[in-house]
Amino acid sequence: MADKILVLIVEDDKAVRNLITTTLNASRSYTLLTASTGESAIMLAASKNPDIIILDLGLPDMDGMDVIKKVRTWSNRPIIVVSARSEDKDKIDALDAGADDYLTKPFSVEELLARIRVAVRKMNYDNRLNKDEAYFENGALKIDYSAALVSVEGQEIHLTPIEYKLVCLLAKNVGKVLTHNYILSHVWPNPAEADSSLVRVFMATLRKKIEKDPSSPIFIQTHIGIGYRMNRIQEENK
Amino acid sequence: MSEERPTPDGLLKMISSQESKSKRGKLKIFFGYAAGVGKTYAMLDAAHSDQKAGEDVVLGYIEPHSRPDTVSLAQGFEDIPVKKIEYRGIVLNEFDLDAALKRNPELILVDELAHTNAAGCRHVKRYDDIEELLSAGINVYTTLNVQHLESLNDIVASITHVTVKERVPDFVFDKATQVELVDIEPDVLIERLNAKKIYKENQAKRALNHFFTRDNLVALREIALRRIADKVNREVESSRTEVHDTPYYTSEHILVCLSSSPSNAKVIRTAARFASAFHASFTALFVETPHSRELNDNNRKRLRENLKLAEQLGAKIATVYGDDVAYQISEYAKASGVSKIVMGRSNNKSRIFLRKPNLVEKLTASAPNLDVYIIPDTQPSYNPEKFKNKFKWNLNLPDFLKTIGILTLCTLIGILFYTFRSFQINIITIFILGVLVISNQTSSKIYGLSSSVLSVLIYNYFFIEPRFTLGAYDPDYPVTFLVMLCASLITSSLTMRVKSQAKAAAVNAHRTSILLETSRKLQRANEFNSIIEKSSQQLSKLLNHSILFFPVKDAELQKPWIYNLDPANPLPAEYSSEEEYAVAVWVYHNRKSAGISTDTLPGAKSLYLPVKGKDTVLAVIGIPISDGNQLEIFERSLLGGMIYEITFAIEKYNLNEQQNQALMKAEKERLRANLLRAISHDLRTPLTSISGNASILLSNGTDIDQTDTHKLLENIYEDSLWLINLVENILAVTRIDDGRLGIQTQPELVQDLISEALLHTDRRRSEHQIETLLENDLLMVQVDAHLIVQTMINIVNNAIVYTPVGSRILIHAFRQGPWVIVEIADNGKGIPDKDKKQIFDMFYTANNEIGDSRRGLGLGLSLCKSIVNAHGGKIYVKDNQPNGTVFGFTLRLEEVHHGG
Repeated sequence: MADKILVLIVEDDKAVRNLITTTLNASRSYTLLTASTGESAIMLAASKNPDIIILDLGLPDMDGMDVIKKVRTWSNRPIIVVSARSEDKDKIDALDAGADDYLTKPFSVEELLARIRVAVRKMNYDNRLNKDEAYFENGALKIDYSAALVSVEGQEIHLTPIEYKLVCLLAKNVGKVLTHNYILSHVWPNPAEADSSLVRVFMATLRKKIEKDPSSPIFIQTHIGIGYRMNRIQEENK
Repeated sequence: MSEERPTPDGLLKMISSQESKSKRGKLKIFFGYAAGVGKTYAMLDAAHSDQKAGEDVVLGYIEPHSRPDTVSLAQGFEDIPVKKIEYRGIVLNEFDLDAALKRNPELILVDELAHTNAAGCRHVKRYDDIEELLSAGINVYTTLNVQHLESLNDIVASITHVTVKERVPDFVFDKATQVELVDIEPDVLIERLNAKKIYKENQAKRALNHFFTRDNLVALREIALRRIADKVNREVESSRTEVHDTPYYTSEHILVCLSSSPSNAKVIRTAARFASAFHASFTALFVETPHSRELNDNNRKRLRENLKLAEQLGAKIATVYGDDVAYQISEYAKASGVSKIVMGRSNNKSRIFLRKPNLVEKLTASAPNLDVYIIPDTQPSYNPEKFKNKFKWNLNLPDFLKTIGILTLCTLIGILFYTFRSFQINIITIFILGVLVISNQTSSKIYGLSSSVLSVLIYNYFFIEPRFTLGAYDPDYPVTFLVMLCASLITSSLTMRVKSQAKAAAVNAHRTSILLETSRKLQRANEFNSIIEKSSQQLSKLLNHSILFFPVKDAELQKPWIYNLDPANPLPAEYSSEEEYAVAVWVYHNRKSAGISTDTLPGAKSLYLPVKGKDTVLAVIGIPISDGNQLEIFERSLLGGMIYEITFAIEKYNLNEQQNQALMKAEKERLRANLLRAISHDLRTPLTSISGNASILLSNGTDIDQTDTHKLLENIYEDSLWLINLVENILAVTRIDDGRLGIQTQPELVQDLISEALLHTDRRRSEHQIETLLENDLLMVQVDAHLIVQTMINIVNNAIVYTPVGSRILIHAFRQGPWVIVEIADNGKGIPDKDKKQIFDMFYTANNEIGDSRRGLGLGLSLCKSIVNAHGGKIYVKDNQPNGTVFGFTLRLEEVHHGG
């Protein structure tokens, strides 16, 4: 990627904004835009069309949720939300409203950079591939949609119908954190059967089948209290 | 009286009573001595001036007048449409109380205070309607004639020879804020009558001849004037007592006896007048005898009415139970310090022979020091005995057989004696003994009496020459027979007396024991539910009825608890319907009893009584009585006693609750203060290090070498991480402590929780070997994920910090029955036993150095305990083999539903 990636940072606290800009500047692969209010964020997003948006949920003038909804009307670019509250509700709401990932303050610099890398990978993936392709590949994991076949490192994996649905859902949204509710509503559309414990149980069985070491998973990442995400595996190991 | 300075309490009471009066509406009565003096006219006139002054005046109900000037004066006001009630084919117009309450004016005019409402209105009497208006804060103007006052009823009757049926109790008149006397000369009134201004022609003639004679009117006018003067006098005294804080009673105590006689009402009224004249305390006593149950319905009804009258006139009701009325009265009088007794004298012609002393004489005999006032009875003679002792022809078979059997036995013994030639007198004594036994063993007098006669006859037949005939040769024998008859009659009646006295004592004891038992049971009841249950049980036992108990919670009356007297026959659903509930709600808001047998909502299925606390009603009790079985007097008084007990129990419970709440609040505040103090203390050290190190780097940045700089920055970083963990812990504390003890939980897999925890543990984890052992992949628990993760972080961090480098830390999760157990074991030094007990206490750090080096705060483990407890689990610590410590906690297992 010769072009630098354009990142819009929306954060009203000066010190935190400084931290993020310094961090990103240090890695020299990003161009930065900053905004300290929701209004200016929306304007900049509309005019400059950034590749990635880092959005603080505790903005002074408007609810971060509204910013997400507005931006999502024209852009599908990754949005990472940053939240100070320890309760999960605002993160879950943000993800359901269209955000892709979240950070909880206080976050470490490594976490920030890791999240941004994930967002970049997702962006590239989105750019390159046509989503309706019949074939999905993510590192050692391969899914053949037409044949309904899943394999890891060439070995075919036998999945139950629900597990297959799960892995396809994660694959279609690779790089994005999916909330429990989102998964429930897509894999178990019948509300009579829907029970939030099902998500966790089936994720656990799926993980056991496709991960080499289920206690340190590489494909499916658990975000406790929020949901799950399929990580985009980079071909070149960083 | 003396010019005493009012006490501060007295002043306070006066002010508060005035204030409470101000929330109430003001009642003004336009009072006259006869119809036609112009009360309604005066009322409307006053209302017009009030309206002109800007008040919101509404006509509630004005009697239709034919007097044209009154009718014209009634124009110009908004009026409340009448309620039409159908009664036996006619449509009656009645005052619509609910419409008036809804309209809520400042002032409302309601004519005729003494009116009785038609069936279907909420209250039977209009003065109760007006009472409700006043409680709602609406001022009322009304009219009243002197003859309708309860206490003056017989005086007026004796003057006019007309007994007025619609009566208003005196307390309504006395409590009124203002009474305006509408007065005209009797001659003027008679003129008006003649001019047909009041009644139509033929009515007028009749009125003139009977009621409106000049003498009558003059007398009535005098009574009215005197009554108003009386009211003014009482007001002066009551304000005086309010200020001086002592009730203005002399040492006089007036007692009146209640009976079912029709003249008793007059006696009660007279006694009430005495009580107010003497400023005495006033008690009405009812002596219940074993025969009280046998009163016929009319008498019972009269007795109840007399009781109600006494209550209305302000008497305290007392009941005693016994056989000898005079004795009971004198005993009560002695015990209660009664100074004067008011009784009626019956006009019964006393028998000449076998003259029993009447009640008055008996009373004077047993209490010679008591003043007895006798009110003569002008009514026709009334002999209660005739009604009471209808010889209950209780012929039942067992008693009959007993009688025959015993007489036969005596006869046989007699024959035995006779055969052995014993004295004749012995046989007589055997028969007398037999009569004694029969009277004792049978249930009715008739057996004793008839066996007396029979024994004489048998004796004559079997044992007197000539034997086996009813004749007697010896002229002495008639005397013997007579004496024998007398002896056996006396024996039988005495025995029956003893029996009934024993029965009376037993009933008394039973009732007292119920009350005592109630008191004991309620004292022990700690839960509100058990208070309800025990109260209902005792009430039911006492009254032999099922009971409906409506508790009050959050200032709202709840649906009733039903206690069925006979569980096999539960109360029909109609007794707990919405309408019945509405009656109970009315009782709750108005603090007065209502329902069947009262004047308010008498169409209800049950009688509802309020359990009155100091300021509010604590509960409502419903007694489902059917029309025929109304509550007897003694039941009423015992009920009163029981309701007191229930009031105490509920108030005690409420006070306890309040105290507990207050204690809990204080405890919470204390903990919070401690927490803040400890936090501030513990924050100082890391903050000193961070700010210090940063400031060194800022000022001397270039002078310090790389390794030292790196070390300083590392210190800053570590301290900040420590602070982050502290903040997480504090936030977790607030989440649990938020007042709502319910935490939000989700089903989570234990493996997910452990993985998450390990991501956040102390940086120094790399210096230790941390392993996870999960016995089952799908261990699921219903938890707040962040809290349980925080718990594990705290415990693992503890293990990392307190064990030497290189030690092994094992996280082991497994299932045991319905529980999931997570144990975190290390092989470090271990924790001494004495510390083990206190290690979960807040602010406790092992080796308990208050110094700053071990930045424990001691919050971590106590938080873990709170979190685990809030999830319904237990936390524990034990020694690891061969060395080290094991921390463990339990969580309830959530069954996994595998839906394929």
